[in-house]
Amino acid sequence: MPKGAEIVLQCLRAEGVDLAFGYPGGAIMPLYDSLDGSGIRHILTRHEQGAVFAAEGYARVTGKVGVAIATSGPGATNLVTGIADAKMDSVPLVCITGQVRSAMIGSDAFQETDVFGVTLSLTKWSRLVRTIDEIPEVIAEGFHWARSGRPGPVVIDIPTDLLKAKREFSGPVKFAAHAGSGEARAEGAFRDTIVALLEQAARPVALVGAGAKLSGAIAELRRLLDDLNIPTFATVHGLGAVPPQSPYYLGMVGMHGTRAANMALHETDLLLVFGARLDDRVTGDPTRFAPQARIVHFEIDPAQLDRVRACELPVIGNLADTIPALQAELGHASLPDWSDWRALACGGERAELDLRGRAQPTLRFLDELFSRLPADNVVIADVGQHQMWAAQRYRSSSPRGFITSGGLGAMGFALPAAVGVQLARPQTCVLCVSGDGGFQMNIQELATVRRLGLPIKMVIVDNKYLGMVRQWQQLFYQRNYAETDLSDNPDFVEIAKAYRIRGWRLHESAMAEYPVSAETGNLIETFLGSPEPELLVFDCHPEANVYPMVPAGAALSEMVFGDE
Amino acid sequence: MQMFHIRYRNAQGALMRILNAISRRGIDLTSVHAEARGQEYAVTVLLEVTHKQIGQLCREWSSIVDVVDVGSSAASLGPGQAAWAPLPPSSASISGQSARAALA
Repeated sequence: MPKGAEIVLQCLRAEGVDLAFGYPGGAIMPLYDSLDGSGIRHILTRHEQGAVFAAEGYARVTGKVGVAIATSGPGATNLVTGIADAKMDSVPLVCITGQVRSAMIGSDAFQETDVFGVTLSLTKWSRLVRTIDEIPEVIAEGFHWARSGRPGPVVIDIPTDLLKAKREFSGPVKFAAHAGSGEARAEGAFRDTIVALLEQAARPVALVGAGAKLSGAIAELRRLLDDLNIPTFATVHGLGAVPPQSPYYLGMVGMHGTRAANMALHETDLLLVFGARLDDRVTGDPTRFAPQARIVHFEIDPAQLDRVRACELPVIGNLADTIPALQAELGHASLPDWSDWRALACGGERAELDLRGRAQPTLRFLDELFSRLPADNVVIADVGQHQMWAAQRYRSSSPRGFITSGGLGAMGFALPAAVGVQLARPQTCVLCVSGDGGFQMNIQELATVRRLGLPIKMVIVDNKYLGMVRQWQQLFYQRNYAETDLSDNPDFVEIAKAYRIRGWRLHESAMAEYPVSAETGNLIETFLGSPEPELLVFDCHPEANVYPMVPAGAALSEMVFGDE
Repeated sequence: MQMFHIRYRNAQGALMRILNAISRRGIDLTSVHAEARGQEYAVTVLLEVTHKQIGQLCREWSSIVDVVDVGSSAASLGPGQAAWAPLPPSSASISGQSARAALA
């Protein structure tokens, strides 16, 4: 008879899991004891947060469920930030945590934490397994909920005695969803209404979010947008869903979005939202968001509607269903000529203003870096100024080409996430862009990179500050740079060396000439072309700011451009 | 005061997820009553909420895996006077009032 741990692993295999990220400990030891020969490759990270972010990176780039494993107590609580991150950004994730023996639960035993309770509000679904007999059903159901509808995180907490116990096992099971549960579906009548709204609209626009890639309806969305040919922009998680060379595409929208996108959003009279939550970083002041617009909100999760701004027409369902339905209806519609509106929204004057930032050395550096990336690449950005600079500059037609912690904004995300991405896509050029603050939050994962020999290209944009916080302190707190000074940072090149990773340093003065010198160009080429992990530290001005910026509480039309 | 009626499968954490949607907004729970009702369970909560919060809560509850359905009624009407009105995810009403409102 197999042990509970072996049943868990067999059930994971049945769900398609061949890679898991984790960190062993007391209560989860029986699972680790059974790993050998299970068919699951385990990646040992150097911290549980590294494991869960790596699992997220794997899930975000593949669309499959990422798996993280940790022990009870501190092991489990170290997963919490990653779980919250997966919830915010709709990442399919299953966390398996060991728990103290069943008989000890509730006794404040050594390394006991109520991880079920701790993660209740952060998970889409969770279970504390009570008997060994439940294991197959719980795992099947957990994976179902992690990947269905709006994907999200699941926690399965298993007491250690159940992992050690034995029982007859006839094989993994399939989960049959409850009647009435699962994805809501839009009724057909919405199509007529949207077509009527389009026929009435003078200044329609489209906003694309993460739902586009999560639904797998990228081709359908692109076809629809090509047919509509209306000004279109994306959230940070929607980048890549629309080819950036599309004549109607205006780039990223929101707090650090392009002027063209934000102005079009401010002036529109009909906003079509495809799979975006309309969170506050996208809307600015919600009372002045798209003030003249009727909003049609395509969304799979009804909980995301009306959070910040009410919409006139919600369309609940998977974009893979709703977009083709709308597309079919458009064939019979007589849509207005929007060429004047398109010319205004996508025209030269607004676009030129967006080019002002090219003088900024870090933007120029990122342009140089991104322009030399091979076609098969993924960029993972951490959280802060570099994240927004990278989002502004990265231009890709790959919907899963730009990965970042968007909703939660969890510093320390990028390096371990890059581990998961590189393992999922071993032939892909994986570029990890961090700040000096965030990089140090999971710097221990350099050991994982080295151990696995992953050829990740790591960039640290080093301004020796917590740059985004400092920028806000400069602009809104009278330059009171309280506790954001990181001028005593370690030498990152030396740290890389200690992990047997080659390090490079580039000062922003190298970006003063355009085009860059042959020496600088060669350095970047060598860095990107290496088959080994490499670290490049880019020293940038401590007071470089991200522009355009919509100040907190301002409308999208009130963005500021700084003095660049 | 607003009264909400939520039917749910009594799976681990289902009731807590329902109540979390309230507590995360800093709303005080005036009254909670949960009981078995046939194959399922039902919880009735009485809350002081804004109109916006009513919509947010109902939609968030509808998104919980084990919630079967959600309804609400004004508490002042009294339980005998007003059967609760279902508040399904919004697309269910697209063909009706909300679609007409969008075109208005």
